[in-house]
Formats: sequence, structure tokens, C-alpha cells
Amino acid sequence: MNRPDANDADVIVVGAGPAGSCAAIAAARAGRRVILIERGPFPGSKNMYGGVVYPRILDELVPRWWETAPVQRWVVRRSTMILSETGALSVDYRSNAWGQPPYNGATAYRPDFDEWLSRQAVAAGAQLVTSTTVTGLLRDASGRVVGVRTDRPDGDLTASVVIACDGVNSFLAKEAGLYSATDPSNFTLGVKETLALPKHVIDERFGVRDDQGVDIEILGGTSGVNGGGFVYTNLDTIALGVVLKLPKLAAQKKRPEEIIATLKAHPAIAPLIEGAEVKEYSAHVIPEAGYSMMPTMVTDGMVVAGDAAALCLAAGIWLEGVNFAMASGMCAGEAAAAAVARNDVSAKGLAPYTDKLNATFVLRDHKKLRKVPGLVLSDRVQQRYPAFVTSVVERVFRVDNPQPKPGLRRIVRQERKRAGIKLSELIRDGWTGLRGFG
Amino acid sequence: MTVVACLKWVIPRVDDDDRFAGISAADQSALEFALLSARPGEDVVAVSAGPLGAERALRDAVACGLSRAIRIDLDPRASSSAVASSIASAVAGARLVWCGDYSLDRGTGSMPGFLAARLGIGQALGLIDVTIGDDSMSVVRRLDGARREIMRVTGPAVLSVEGSTARLRRASLRGVLAADNAIIDVIAGMSSPIDAVDEKPYRPRARALAAPSGTSALDRVRSLTDAGTATQRSETVVLDPPEAAARIVGALRDWGYLG
Amino acid sequence: MSALVAVVPVRAGVVPAGGLEAIAEAGGRAILIGSGASTATTDLGAARDVTVVDINVSDPQAWGRAAADVLSRLGLADSVVVPASPDGRDLAPHLALALGVELFSGATEVTPTRVRVARRGGLAIAEHRPAGRFVATLQPGVRGVDPASMAPTVNNVDIGAPESSTAVMSQEVLPPDVSTMDLAEAPRIVGGGAGLTDAERFAQLAEFAKSIDASMGVTRVITDRGWAPHQRQIGTTGIVVDPKLYLAFGVSGAVQHTSGLGQPDHIISVNTDAHCPMMQMADLAIVSDANAVLDELAALLSKDSAS
Ligand SMILES: Cc1cc2nc3c(=O)[nH]c(=O)nc-3n(C[C@H](O)[C@H](O)[C@H](O)COP(=O)(O)OP(=O)(O)OC[C@H]3O[C@@H](n4cnc5c(N)ncnc54)[C@H](O)[C@@H]3O)c2cc1C
Ligand SMILES: Cc1cc2nc3c(=O)[nH]c(=O)nc-3n(C[C@H](O)[C@H](O)[C@H](O)COP(=O)(O)OP(=O)(O)OC[C@H]3O[C@@H](n4cnc5c(N)ncnc54)[C@H](O)[C@@H]3O)c2cc1C
Ligand SMILES: Nc1ncnc2c1ncn2[C@@H]1O[C@H](COP(=O)(O)O)[C@@H](O)[C@H]1O
Repeated sequence: MNRPDANDADVIVVGAGPAGSCAAIAAARAGRRVILIERGPFPGSKNMYGGVVYPRILDELVPRWWETAPVQRWVVRRSTMILSETGALSVDYRSNAWGQPPYNGATAYRPDFDEWLSRQAVAAGAQLVTSTTVTGLLRDASGRVVGVRTDRPDGDLTASVVIACDGVNSFLAKEAGLYSATDPSNFTLGVKETLALPKHVIDERFGVRDDQGVDIEILGGTSGVNGGGFVYTNLDTIALGVVLKLPKLAAQKKRPEEIIATLKAHPAIAPLIEGAEVKEYSAHVIPEAGYSMMPTMVTDGMVVAGDAAALCLAAGIWLEGVNFAMASGMCAGEAAAAAVARNDVSAKGLAPYTDKLNATFVLRDHKKLRKVPGLVLSDRVQQRYPAFVTSVVERVFRVDNPQPKPGLRRIVRQERKRAGIKLSELIRDGWTGLRGFG
Repeated sequence: MTVVACLKWVIPRVDDDDRFAGISAADQSALEFALLSARPGEDVVAVSAGPLGAERALRDAVACGLSRAIRIDLDPRASSSAVASSIASAVAGARLVWCGDYSLDRGTGSMPGFLAARLGIGQALGLIDVTIGDDSMSVVRRLDGARREIMRVTGPAVLSVEGSTARLRRASLRGVLAADNAIIDVIAGMSSPIDAVDEKPYRPRARALAAPSGTSALDRVRSLTDAGTATQRSETVVLDPPEAAARIVGALRDWGYLG
Repeated sequence: MSALVAVVPVRAGVVPAGGLEAIAEAGGRAILIGSGASTATTDLGAARDVTVVDINVSDPQAWGRAAADVLSRLGLADSVVVPASPDGRDLAPHLALALGVELFSGATEVTPTRVRVARRGGLAIAEHRPAGRFVATLQPGVRGVDPASMAPTVNNVDIGAPESSTAVMSQEVLPPDVSTMDLAEAPRIVGGGAGLTDAERFAQLAEFAKSIDASMGVTRVITDRGWAPHQRQIGTTGIVVDPKLYLAFGVSGAVQHTSGLGQPDHIISVNTDAHCPMMQMADLAIVSDANAVLDELAALLSKDSAS
């Protein structure tokens, strides 16, 4: 395979999710022949997620993307909610500026968003092939990846570089030997319901109007299974879901449906969704442990991007993956195109991809937050802190006249003891949190 | 000579989301039979009368190995006889014309009959089995009462097949890549009356009843009003699967079907 | 204002499915045309005024043209109702073309000025108000048959032998397949539709059917997918059944399906959509996932038989 022009393409991108389409846009823009292969009947047809994208990264790839992107609502309120069994503490931030160009985050349906993004790739010159599943890698004698095999008759395609964007648990990254053993504790299960309500009801309940939307992340409320929850507003549906740590889920013998039902019945959540009709129920695995489980990103003739590279941040109050997928896809596409141009598609020739990731928010965020998933999902944070925090707040705000108000310090001490939290732990976790989030 | 497949591009959804559009299982069978029944040297042509989106279905068909694809630009609401007239002028002289037995949206199964009439050739419709021989075909058609009719096709004909009669071959990857750039001939359709009418959900109509059988007036009233029989107690319940199963078994017991 | 007349294709003396309903819909006026038509004049339900045309024809094109010929000989300018049986459905376009009038296929109701037609796989109804003469095919099973009135007046018309196609020739009519008879005559039927998600579900459904002494039937969508053989299809183009008990799992109840269902004493329907026609027809309508309910039923009944 030393004659690149005899190849079917310069770059083959596997998977037309956010990572794949951005990789295809970047490589096609750089003048390469790109084939983008997707197993679904159209990009996004089967893809699910919570519901919010932060597409800032698209400023570069699709200028003025907000004018054409299929957006449900623009996020102008972000809340983090801490739930104990009956109480709730919310930190709520609102900025109407986020509802103006160039915007910040948006709720969107993945079949709409992914399909739109793939059309940008086709407009850039990539050839999109749908209803086609990649079933293996083609390699030359030296072991270098030189193309893919698909499930269609006569289905081998050759290329100088393959970009694997085939999502979580990437079959291609594994086949290329880029993952060390996959440990189930590195994954969480995401489960989501789409609940239909009339638009004006959603507007009223969430305090928004027109195309303004709300993003709520939840700590606690997952029936004792470590994880988190979310509530997002679409135009006339609400996305409500939980992410659950897999080993815990198995150990507790709880069904994800039951956990969602319990969350829906929580006094702080129930009024938001009252009367809504369940339109859809879906589930998907998320790479959870972030930085610590990332595979090697580059090998001879191939790079890995998006969820396939475990570039997903699912740490309690963050549930972001699409933005990392788009950014890493873009870097991968650019690096692949440059490597083809320089005629060096070895791991070394493709190494600028990793350098780019390191220089951008993609890996910086992941490095900075590498301990956070562990903390947020720890038993302490999951099982004891919500009760502790909410009872402290409950006592601070409760009016017990004619009793005098107790001092805050005393309340904290009493409640910490009651929740069984050691002071040393509290200090250590606080420090990790500060370093991670700060 | 040519062999033709008529493919109707339909959006099988109430929300008209055309990303889910495509051709029916019956039309896929028709395409497969067109490919199978062509003799060496014969062209296989796919025709679709419909809007621009129909070209996607035609490209998928081209990827399976067609010689040519024609789109007749026609309002999707055109009547079956108008569709047939337009298709007839595009495929005159064809040896065999394969159709699905009915389309998913209009679903009348009358286009193929009109087409046979317009082309002045034979017809064999609603086929559930096709055996292709060297110079004739043996086909099986459904009749009512679960009877079937065996027919022999020796000359030019329009044939319509049910969806399970054949499974469409999977297009090769090369075929798919090439079909992206294939040229699709576009012909203007004949302007035609549009049957634009509102659609409402189907509700069964009241049925005529046989004469009441009882002898006394009371018996006759009873049998007419069905009083005292189970059909009066219709109810709708939302249940979890385990409850649902228990309820079903309970009802079967109550009604005397289970011991 | 013109009235309606039914054109009923007869094959070997057999009136097709929906033939009597077409006659009733046309107010009792009918033309019976086909092989053995003259032997088919007893038990015609609501028929009042019957013309019999006994011709040996099985080619729908010739059949439709012959019917048009008879109408013009009789000087009838009425709109025409044809049963949407396989033969009726196939000859109707030819009849409409020969008369130069519009065709409405798959109607659920026909009057001289209004035709309701099933659409979208029988789940929707479109209403037409034709201005002039038309041909409509009437979906079998939608209206029921009126009680027999008195014997109709019958007159015969002879039009000679029509010219049939030689490109397609009828060889043989096969009687119902024995393997289908268990379904056609079954007093209990369990039916499955597109709400069941894969082929294996139908093996499970058959198993469940067996456990309650029922036969399994399916919808057209399922035979189209190749998940069950043709002989299992219930409906106007499949087997017409008449059970006492019908259990529907994930069946929407499209008119072409329910038309073949007879009048069961008891109907249970399991569907996620509470508002589809099958749920409205049911005595017990359960909103639930039919796949999961089947799993539960299997567990429940195996427990039952074990204890
Ligand atoms: C419950 C849940 C909630 C989430 N919420 C959010 C959120 O609110 N915001 C956010 O930003 N992120 C969220 N995420 C994460 C986000 O969904 C992912 O990080 C993101 O989709 C990754 O994009 P990707 O392109 O790498 O992979 P994917 O989106 O998984 O795309 C992979 C594509 O490859 C295709 N494919 C796979 N294998 C093959 C093959 N062999 N051949 C051909 N094609 C193939 C697939 O069909 C798919 O189209 C959530 C995830 C889950 C599970
Ligand atoms: C000329 C002609 C002849 C025809 N002849 C026949 C015939 O003889 N017999 C026949 O059956 N059809 C026939 N049809 C087809 C008919 O019109 C319908 O398309 C067909 O009956 C629909 O089958 P279905 O109910 O399985 O599928 P659908 O209409 O797709 O309905 C599926 C149902 O499953 C429900 N569902 C989905 N998921 C679940 C779940 N998880 N649990 C429970 N429920 C679920 C949905 O709510 C829906 O009600 C004919 C059509 C035409 C035009
Ligand atoms: N617009 C169309 N373009 C191509 N083929 C059609 C069209 N309409 C109907 N057909 C063919 O005729 C068959 C029966 O359709 P219908 O008569 O609409 O039920 C379909 O399965 C197609 O094969």
C-alpha cells in the first residue's frame, strides 16, 4: 500500500456521530478525499444522549452554526440540584446573554443534530455511506492499518488513514490493540425518558420563554446506586434521565426503570413533569472514568476520537461528550489530512493529533478533572453528602421561633456526625473538589 | 427489451419526517424480481413517480445493479391512474413490469392494474410466489377464502408481488459509492387531478346486524343490545407487564377459557 | 341523481368475500358476472334486483371490460361498487378505465355522493365527494350483511365469450392449504403484529398460543417481513377467521386486518397506543409493552403448569 493515490480514499472515517462528522469536515476542508461510513440508515438515527450540546468548538468548523443547527432551546439556566430523600438544594445560574448569538449551550435531538452535522461534512466534500457497518480493519504486512472491511458484499475500502469514531466501547480501537483491558467499573449506564408536555407548560414550570431552555444536573436521587441525574427542556418534551455506575447497579439488583421512577416521584422533580406522557425510553453506555481509562490515541495508519477514545466527561454536574467528540474529531481530521499531505501516516506522523488534544480544552479539562469522577461517584458523595448538605441547609433555613437560631458551625458539626462523615474526609474531598473544579 | 421495477417512495410516518422514507417491502421484492428475471442483455430500469426525495430510493436501487433509473416528477398525491399514465409513457415496450402489490400510504393496489391497461399488456397481481423459468414464469396469486390461483406468464405483463416473496439483495459497497454519482433521468409527469382530501383516523363503522333470533320481544331486544354479554364491559387499563400478564390470565379464567 | 349498482365477480359459482356487502351497499342492485354466475343467485342477502352474466373468464382485464359492456347494454349510468376481493380489486381499474370514470379503491363506505377510503395501511380514512359517476371497491367485512329480504328478481344477459389475455393464463385454482385450516376454523386465536420486535417473538407467541389451546395468526406487516408464513396472515388478503376469542399483541387493527376477524365474543388487546382501533374494539385493552407481557405470560403459564 505504498501508492496512496491507488487507495479508495485518503481518509476513512468510521461512525457519523459528532466526532466522525467533524473529522470528515476537517479532512475534507484540507482537500483530502474522505469517505464517512455510518451503520445507521441516516446519521444519528439511533444515537441517544441526555440532551445538551455545547457547540462553541463549531465556531471554527461551521461559522455561524447557530443559524442552521437544529436546536430545540438555548440554555439560559443551569442548575445543580442535590437531592436527599425528600429535600432538595439547588444552585441555579441564569444568564439571558446565553440566549443570544453566539450562544452557549443548546438542547437538541441527536437524530436532528447528527444528521445536520453530517450534511456539513458532505457539503465540505466528504462522501457519506449509510446503512453500512465496519466489521474489521485491513492491515498490511507490517501491521499498519490500511483500510476497513464492511458488511457489504465487495466491502473492503483502503485509505491512508482510518479515523475511528465508532463511539463508546470502540470495536475498532480494541481491534487495533489500543485499549488495555476494559473494566466495567469504567463505564456507567445512561438511561433516559423523553416526556411530552405542551410548550407553554414547560415554559411556565421552568421559568423560561420562547426558545430559552434549562439544564439541570442532579446529585443524589438515584436510589442509592452511585450516579447522577439530569433534566433538560426541549421545545415540547423534557429529557429526564440517570447515569448509573455499572457495578453498583448490578450489586444493588435494582432495575434502571425503577430508579427513574423513583427520581420522577421525588417531590422536587414530580411537579416539573406532572401529566407528561412518556414518548421514548432509551439506554446507552457512557465511558465514565475519563482521563484514567483513555486508550492510546494513535497507531500506524489510524487515530481514535470521541467516545471511542473515552473523551467523555460524565462527572456529576457535568455531562458532556458531544463537545469533546466534535473537538477531538476536528483535531483528528486535521492531523490525518496533514499526515497524508506529508506522506507520513505512521504513528509518529499522526502524533500531532495527541499534541493538539493536549493543547486544547479536550485533554486539559480531562486532566484537570481526572479525579473528579472518582470523587463525585464515591460512596461518600453519593450516599452521605446529599443527606448531610440538605439537612444542614434545612436547619439553617427552618424557622423554629421562638427557639433561637443555632449557629451554622454547630449545625454542620451535628449533621456531619449524624451523616457519619469524618472531618478528615470532608477536608480531603473538599480539597480534591477545589483542585478539580477550581 | 427492458424489465422495469416501479418503486414508490413513501414516508411511513404521521409526522412526515422524510429521513425515514423509503420503499416498501413489497417494492423491494419487486426490484429483486426485476433483477432476477432480466435475461442477458436486457436492461433493468427502475421508475419512481414522486418528488426529489424519491431519487434517494432510486440511488439505492441503482446500487443494487440497475441499468437506469427514471424519476417522473409528479405530485405525491396524484391519483393511481395518473401515476399509471405517466409511468406507461416512460416504460412503453417493456417486457416485464414489476410492482409491489400495494403502496404503504395510498395502499390501493390499483396502480399496477391501471398500468397494465395503459400499456395494453397482461397482468398478474398480488403474487405470493414466483418461479422464473427460461421462457415462462409460474406465479401464485391469492384468492379469497385462502384459495390460490396458479398462473403462467408467457408474454409481456405487469406483475405485483407481496413483500415477503423475495429479499432484496444487499448492494455492494462499490455499487453504493458509484450510485452517489449515478445520473437519474427526470421526466416531467403529466399534470393530473390531485386527490387532496383530509385524512382522519380510522374508526370501524357500525355493522349491519342479522335479524334478531329470539322469539319473544324481550329476547329480541336482548340479543340486539347484547345486554348481559361480555362485550359490554370493555375497559382500557395501563399495566406493568407482570400485572398485565396476570390480568390476561385472570380474564381468560373469568371468561371460561382456562380451567 | 344516479344510484349505485354492485358488480360482483363470480368464480366457479362462488361469490367472493365481501360480495354480499357490496350488494347491500348498492341497495340490492347487482350484476353477478363470471364463471358459474347463474348458479350463484341463492342466499344473496339484501339483493333485490340481480342481473346474471355467465361467462368463462378469469383474466381481470377482460372481466372488467365485460362488466363495462354489460352496464352500457343495460343502459345503466350508475356509480359502481365492487367488492375489494382479489378478483374485484384486480378488475376494478379496467372497469373504471373502460367507463372513463374515477376509481376509489378500498372504501369503507360508499354512497352516490360520498366515498370513504382507507389509507396509510388502513389506519386513516379519507373522505371523497365525487361530482360524477365513479367506481369504488368496498373493503370486505366493514359493513356486515343485511338480513336476507325476499328472493331477488333475476334476469340473465348473454354477451358472448370475451377475449382474454394470452400473456398470462390461469392454470389452476388450489383449495385452501390444509396447514391453514387450523387457523381458519380455530375458536381461539392469538394474533401478533408489528409491536413485537423480532422474528423470535413469533416462536414465543406460537408457544403461548399452544398453552391456551389457540392458533397463531399475524398481520400483513409480519408476513411481509418474512417472520411468519403467508398461511398465518389474518385479513382480507389473508385468511378470514371467525374465532370466539382473539388476543392481539402489538396489532394496530387496520381495517384490512380486522375485516378478516369475524365477530369474536372476547377480544384482548395489548398495545402501547391506547387509541388505535384494535384497542377500541377490545373488551380488555391493556396499555403495556407486548414483548414484555409475552415474557411474563410465558413465565406465568409455565409456573401454572408446573404446580
Ligand atoms: C444517557 C447519556 C446522556 C448523555 N448526555 C450528554 C449531554 O447531555 N451532553 C453531551 O454533550 N454529551 C452527553 N452524553 C455523551 C455523548 O452522547 C457522547 O459523548 C457523544 O455522543 C460521543 O460522540 P461520538 O461521535 O464519539 O460517538 P457516538 O455519538 O456514539 O457516534 C458513533 C457513531 O458511530 C456509528 N458506528 C458505531 N460503530 C460503527 C461501525 N462498526 N460501523 C459504522 N458505524 C458505526 C454509530 O452508529 C454512531 O453514529 C451522554 C451520553 C449518554 C449515554
Ligand atoms: C390491499 C391491502 C391488503 C391488506 N391485507 C391485509 C391483510 O390481509 N391482513 C393484515 O393484517 N393486513 C393487511 N394489510 C395491511 C394493513 O393495512 C396494515 O398495514 C397491517 O394490518 C398493520 O399491521 P400491524 O398492526 O402489525 O402493524 P402496525 O400498523 O405498524 O401496528 C403496530 C402496532 O403495534 C403497537 N406497538 C408498537 N410497539 C409496541 C410494544 N412494544 N408493545 C405493544 N404494542 C406495540 C403500535 O402502537 C401499533 O398499534 C393490507 C393492506 C392493503 C392496502
Ligand atoms: N408513484 C409511484 N411511482 C412508482 N411506482 C408506484 C407509484 N405508485 C404506485 N407504484 C407501484 O404500484 C404498486 C401499488 O401501489 P398502489 O396502487 O398505490 O397501492 C406499488 O407497490 C409500486 O410498485
